Amino acid sequence: MTRPEARQHQLRGAVLRANPLVLLAAGLLVVPGSFAVRSLPIGLVALGAYLLAGVVLLPSLRPALGRLGVVMLASVMVVYSTWLLGGHEVDTALTAGVRVLVLALPGAVLAVYVDPSRLADELGQRLGLPARFVVATSAALQRFDQLGQTWQHLDRARRARGFGPSRNPVRTFGYAASLTFALLVSALRGATQMSIAMDARGFADAHRRTWAEPVVWTVEDSALLCLGIALAALPVILYAL
Amino acid sequence: MTPARAALRGFGWQPLGRRAPVLTGLDLAIEPGERLLLTGPSGSGKSTILRALAGVLGASVPGEVSGAVEVDARIGLLLQNPGDAVVAARIGRDVAFGPENAAMAREEIWRRVRESLAAIGMPYALEHPTQALSGGELQRLALAGVLALEPGLLLLDEPTSMLDAANAEGVRRAVLAVVAQTGASLLVVEHHVAPWLAHVDRVVVLGADGHITADTSPQELACMDPAALAGDGVWMPGLPAPTPLDLPATLVRPRHAPLPLRAESLAVELRTRTMRGPVTTPALRGVDAELAGAAVTAFTGPSGAGKSTLAAALAGLLVPVAGRVVAPEPAWHRWRPRDRAAQVGWVPQNAEHGFLTSRVCHEVVVTANRLGVEVDVGETLEAVGLSHLADANPYQLSGGEQRRLAIVAALAHRPPVLLLDEPTVGQDRDTWAAVVGWAMSAARAGAAVGVASHDPALAAASDHEVTLERGRVAIR
Amino acid sequence: MSHPSASTSTTTAPGGLMAYRTIDIVTAATLGVAFGVAFWGWNQLYLLIANISVFAFPPSGGLLGGPWLIAGVVGGLVVRRPGAAVATEVIAAFVSGMLGNQWGFSVLVSGLLEGLGVELVLAVLLYRRFGLVVAMLAGACAGVFESVYEWYSYYPDWDLGYRLAHLGFFALSGALVAGLGGWVLVRGLARTGALDAFGPGREHHQRHAS
Repeated sequence: MTRPEARQHQLRGAVLRANPLVLLAAGLLVVPGSFAVRSLPIGLVALGAYLLAGVVLLPSLRPALGRLGVVMLASVMVVYSTWLLGGHEVDTALTAGVRVLVLALPGAVLAVYVDPSRLADELGQRLGLPARFVVATSAALQRFDQLGQTWQHLDRARRARGFGPSRNPVRTFGYAASLTFALLVSALRGATQMSIAMDARGFADAHRRTWAEPVVWTVEDSALLCLGIALAALPVILYAL
Repeated sequence: MTPARAALRGFGWQPLGRRAPVLTGLDLAIEPGERLLLTGPSGSGKSTILRALAGVLGASVPGEVSGAVEVDARIGLLLQNPGDAVVAARIGRDVAFGPENAAMAREEIWRRVRESLAAIGMPYALEHPTQALSGGELQRLALAGVLALEPGLLLLDEPTSMLDAANAEGVRRAVLAVVAQTGASLLVVEHHVAPWLAHVDRVVVLGADGHITADTSPQELACMDPAALAGDGVWMPGLPAPTPLDLPATLVRPRHAPLPLRAESLAVELRTRTMRGPVTTPALRGVDAELAGAAVTAFTGPSGAGKSTLAAALAGLLVPVAGRVVAPEPAWHRWRPRDRAAQVGWVPQNAEHGFLTSRVCHEVVVTANRLGVEVDVGETLEAVGLSHLADANPYQLSGGEQRRLAIVAALAHRPPVLLLDEPTVGQDRDTWAAVVGWAMSAARAGAAVGVASHDPALAAASDHEVTLERGRVAIR
Repeated sequence: MSHPSASTSTTTAPGGLMAYRTIDIVTAATLGVAFGVAFWGWNQLYLLIANISVFAFPPSGGLLGGPWLIAGVVGGLVVRRPGAAVATEVIAAFVSGMLGNQWGFSVLVSGLLEGLGVELVLAVLLYRRFGLVVAMLAGACAGVFESVYEWYSYYPDWDLGYRLAHLGFFALSGALVAGLGGWVLVRGLARTGALDAFGPGREHHQRHAS
C-alpha cells in the first residue's frame, strides 16, 4: 500500500534520478516530433501533454518557469515574423509559435537536470563513444565555471582601463571581440596545462581505459523513455489521423 | 613501487619560435630516493627540465629536443597553478583518472583512490565537488591524483608559489609525508628556496644561461654567497628583501589630487554563472576601510578573506549589496569607465587579463590615449626594463615581464589612486623590486595606493595594513 | 587559386590525420566550452540589438547568425583533424543548451549541422587548406546548413523568397563573421603563442623566421 503523497514524492524525484540519456533523448525526440505540428489544435494538444507531464514529474516548477520565459521570447518572434512573411495569417502564425514552444521547451527544461559527468559516463560506457574524447570533453566542461569567472575578470580589467560596453553597436561589437579573444587565450593556455597534467597521468596511451563507476539503467528510466517517445509521437499521430 | 633513477644526458631544448635554445648540453642525474631542489632565475629552464623528465616536451609543448632523457619508473607531475590538473567534478573520480587510464579493475581503482586521499590528508568525502576546494586543497588533490599511480619520482613545478603561507605549508607537509611514506625520489622546482631546504638532500642552482652554477648540499649552500649563485633573481635564503626601484616622479606623479576613497559598511557578493545556474557568495560583509593619500595601504589576510574583492570594489568595479564606497555622485560603480579610469588605476591579479592590444608599446598608451593623456613610452618601458620588447606581443612575454607590463599598462596615465591585486605572487626578485617600486614611488609622489596581497615582504614595505578575515576587517 | 595565406596555411596536423594527440582533443573540447561561455556573454550584450533587427525585417535575423557558427570554424582551423569542427561546435551548443537558451536541445541539432557544414568544406580539401577563402567558404556552408534547418523547424510558413533571403543573409554572415572573423581570430591567437602546438602556431613562427 503506497500513500498518495509518498507516490507523488517518488514521481517528482524521477527526473532528478533519471538517466541523463533519457533526458537528452526526450529533449531531442521532440525536434522531429514538432515538425508534425501543422495546425493549432495539434500544437495545443502536444504542448498541453508536455505541460501536464512537467507539472506531474518536475520536482519544482521554478527553474522551468524561468526557462519558459526565454522560450516564449523566441516563440513571440516567430509568431510575428511568420505573420509578416507568411501572408498575414493569424492561424498559421500562432501555429508556428506553438511549434517552437513544443520544439524547445522540453529540452530547455530538462537541461536543468542533466549532470554532465554522468552523461559522459553514459556516452562512454553505454553508447560506446570513443573514451578519450568523452573523458576530455567532460574534463573541459569542469572548466566552465572557471572560464565564466575569467569572463568577469576580463570585463573588470577592461572597465578599469576605461573601456566598457555602450549603446553604440559597433563599439559593443569590438568590446565583445576583445573579451572573446582574451577568453580564448586563457582557455587555450588552460588546455595546454591540462593536457600536460593528463598525459603525465597516462592519458596519451589510454586507448583502452576502464571506468571507475558503473552505469545503471532502471525500470524507471525505461518508463520515462517510453513517455518521452509517446509525447514526441503524439503530434505525429494526430497529424496522420 | 621502487624509487626511480632519472637522468638527462647532453640534454638541450629549443622551444618553437625561439632563436636560441633554453638549455644545451645539460647533464643532471637523480639517484633513487634522492630529494633534489632545483632553483634558478626566471627563464633559466627549470620548468623545462621537469617537463622533459615528465615526457611531455615535444607533444604538448612544441620545440626541439636533443640529448637523452632516461627515467626508469613511473613519474608524477604537479603543476604550478592549482586547478590545472582537475579533470572531474568530484574528488573521488578525479583521483581515479590515472588508474582508469591504466585500465585497472574497479576494486583496485577505488582502493588506490582511498589510499591516496588518506595519504595527503583530504578531509572530504569522495563525492565532494572539486569546484568547492581552495587553492591549497586543489594542489593536494592533484598530488593524490599523481599518487594513485604509485610514481617512483615526484616532479613538482613551483607547487606553492600561487598559495598563501598557510596553504603552502599544508601542501609542503603533504608532499613530504608522501615522500617519507613511499620513498619516491623527489625533484622540486622553486623560486622561494628557504622553506624546502630542511627537507632536501641536494640543491642544484641554474644560472640565467641555463647552466648549473651549483650542485651542493643544503648545509654547504648556506656558506655560499647567495647573490653570486643565481644572479639577483632567486629568493635565496639569507638575502634581505630586494630594494624597491626608485622611479622618476615624472612617471608616477598623480595628475591631480586623489579622491578620498573610503569603504563604508561595504558588503559585496560575488555572483558567478555555473552550468547549474548563478551562484552567489558573500565576499565582504560590512567593511570600513580607507585609502590614505601619499601612502601604501596593504589589504592582507588568508585566501578567501576578501582582499581582492575590497581592492576591486574600491576601484568601482563591483556593485555593493549594502554600504558603499564614498565618492562624488553618481554611485562609484556607476561612473563611466572612462571617467573612473582617470581617477583610479587597477592592476588585475592575472596580468594577461588586462591586455588590450597586440604590441607592448601600444599597450602602454591605450588607456592614456582614451583619456587624452601624454605618456613617454620609451621612458616608461625603460624604467621597468622592457625597452627591448617594445614591439613584442604582450602575450608572448614571460611571467615577470607580463607582470611589469601590466603595471605600466594600467598605471602609465598616472591616476591618483592605484589598486593592485596580488601584484607580487610568484614573481622573482627583479620583478618584485619593479612592482613594489612603482607602488612606493607613486605614493611618495602623492598617490593613494592600495595593495591586496598575502606577501609578507610587501606588507612590511607598506605604510598601513588592513587585515581581513572572512570578509570582515580583523585588526586595524 | 591565390589568396593571402595560400602559401602558409597548409600545414597539416602532425602524425596521421586521425592521430589525435591529447592536446588536440582537450583543445577542441576547451574551445567548445569557451565559446559556450562566450555565447552566454554575447547574449548579455546583444539581446537588444537582435530583437530590433528581427522586428525590422525578419530574414535579416540571419545576419546575426554568424557569431554562433564561429566555434566550428575556429575548432577546424586550429586542430585541423577530421571531426574537430563538429566536436567544437556541438560542445559549444551543448553548453549554451545547458545554460538554458531559447532553442532547447534543438540547439544540439543546430550545432551538429553547423559543424558538419564547416567539416564538409575542410574534408573536400582533404584537411590540407586552411586559408582565408577556405574559412569563409566553411562559414558560409555552415550558415546554409543552419538556415535550411531553420526553414523546417522555425519558418516553414514563410514564403520561399523570404526563406531564400534568410539563407542568403545567414550564408553572408557565416562567411564574414564566422569565416573571416574566425580566421582573423586564429591568426591573432597564433601571435600570442597559445597555438604553438598547432598548425597556425607553427605557420606564425615560419612567417617570422623568414
